[in-house]
Amino acid sequence: MPKVVSIHSYRGGTGKSNFTANLATTVAADGYRVGVFDTDVPSPGIHNLFCLEPEQVTTTLNHYLWGEAPIETAAYDVGANVGIDADKLYLVPASVKADDIARILKDGYDVKMMNDGFRSLVKSLKLDYLFIDTHPGLSKETFLSIAISHVLLLILRPDKQDYQGTAVTMDVARQLNVRNVLLAINKTYSTLNPEALKQKVEETYQSPVAGIFPLSEDVVQLASEGVFCAKYPDHPVSQEFWKVAQHIMVEA
Amino acid sequence: MSDLQSLTSSITAVTSPFRSYLTDLHIQYQADNDGAVADYIPELALAKPEWFGICVVTQAGQVFEIGDCDQMFTIQSISKAFVYGLALEDHGREYVNSKVSVEPSGEAFNAIVLDETTNRPYNPMVNAGAIATSDLIKGANGTERLKRLLAMFQRYTGRELDINVPVFLSEKATGFRNRAMAYLMLNFGMVSDRVDETLDLYFQQCSVMVTAKDLAMLSATLANGGVNPVTQERALDERYVQDVISVMLTCGMYDGSGEWTYRVGMPAKSGVGGGITAVAPGKLGVGTFSPLLDAKGNSVRGIKVCEDLSQDFGLHLFNVAKPKLNLDDCLTGNDVDNW
Repeated sequence: MPKVVSIHSYRGGTGKSNFTANLATTVAADGYRVGVFDTDVPSPGIHNLFCLEPEQVTTTLNHYLWGEAPIETAAYDVGANVGIDADKLYLVPASVKADDIARILKDGYDVKMMNDGFRSLVKSLKLDYLFIDTHPGLSKETFLSIAISHVLLLILRPDKQDYQGTAVTMDVARQLNVRNVLLAINKTYSTLNPEALKQKVEETYQSPVAGIFPLSEDVVQLASEGVFCAKYPDHPVSQEFWKVAQHIMVEA
Repeated sequence: MSDLQSLTSSITAVTSPFRSYLTDLHIQYQADNDGAVADYIPELALAKPEWFGICVVTQAGQVFEIGDCDQMFTIQSISKAFVYGLALEDHGREYVNSKVSVEPSGEAFNAIVLDETTNRPYNPMVNAGAIATSDLIKGANGTERLKRLLAMFQRYTGRELDINVPVFLSEKATGFRNRAMAYLMLNFGMVSDRVDETLDLYFQQCSVMVTAKDLAMLSATLANGGVNPVTQERALDERYVQDVISVMLTCGMYDGSGEWTYRVGMPAKSGVGGGITAVAPGKLGVGTFSPLLDAKGNSVRGIKVCEDLSQDFGLHLFNVAKPKLNLDDCLTGNDVDNW
């Protein structure tokens, strides 16, 4: 049965797209068929990590949501860009054209269409996993992606605003009867004791912490021009992603 | 219900297996292009053959809308069932029954036939019976009677409705057969002598603009004992709900009513505008809209949707077998597990 994994954080800049790209790549490299949706229509970006250039993209998620194209035509095989076999890893990008973003913000879209798009692509590409990269905060589409998730991965930084926002998101997730919530702590500093941090966060939110990621200059240097774990598979950060991916595959 | 709960419930409706089921039905029957758009007046011929909406409203007030559920069209004969309910409220069962019988006629909707012994029209769903029913609607003048009728529809649908004036004028200008029937009934004393006012009211009630969602609200209100399940407003006296549903079952689908009862078994009313409203008492209301009609004047796609819903969820009134799909599970479950 296909599994849906949503990657979310209450605030921006936590590393959602980075996590989505690395986890999706790791799962695809393990032999599964994986689809990635960029539902962050107000500020899309994950296509950069998969090295999908705007000029290669003719149809986007926006066009599907406007009823102009079937979702299948907005799915791009990005496996080759991250060293994976063809027909294993697909990305549905959102449009980066200012006009397109303005139109979707102005007119909105039918959240039912989004759900039908997920479902349709999972069926037609026979996906094992669907990863959903989300816009930060809470909105109708966040509610939708949380509601359909087998695993919801919430990313937070060691920061008071993130702690509070994560608590709000947990409330919503419980209201939506989400099955599994995993937490990942990103951008921790060297002075923090990872074990103590993990224990404190797990106690606070009553959900397992699947990985702890230190603030990494190596990740920053790649600057969204590729998927980190594909470029540096033996790096400790890549190993932490592998740990989280395994946790996701077990929970899902 | 808190705002968080209400938003959660709307998302749960989106992710439910029932919505996916309806979406699949919509895709399946959208491809079916059998039937023809009604063209006896030019306004109806403007309908696009591809228009297709399915709406279901449950007794708990959950709303499922697939396809063209906001497209307006004229209610046409579907109005007859609900005006009958208002006439019952205005005069009571006995008096209304003395003016209009409740026997299926087996004749076409526009037949000029009255019961030979009592001179009553056969039932409130054929044109003659509907005109006699409209005659019973109380009010000092035509305007007041129309306003009462529109207020009645508003209680069912939860929104203000209007009539389509060009359709009304066209129906009025070409409705010679209905005019003839009205005067025949006047001759037998079955309608009062305000015949022209009543005919106007009848043409107006057929010209009320509705959507598939409105049709689902109409039948869901009947399914919920006369109370709109979303607004909780009462639209029809509890005592008369079964009267309206009964005549829908026996006479609602024109001269296709017998086969409809056998195959679908959901009390329903269709209109040549392309609408069907169907009731599953105590469970839900269905509203469908697709203007492609069969030879009897019923929406081809709408019939298929109702047939499938009835069979798959055991919505036939007399069903005792375990249905293929459990309605409650489909309404409350999460469809992602069926992907």
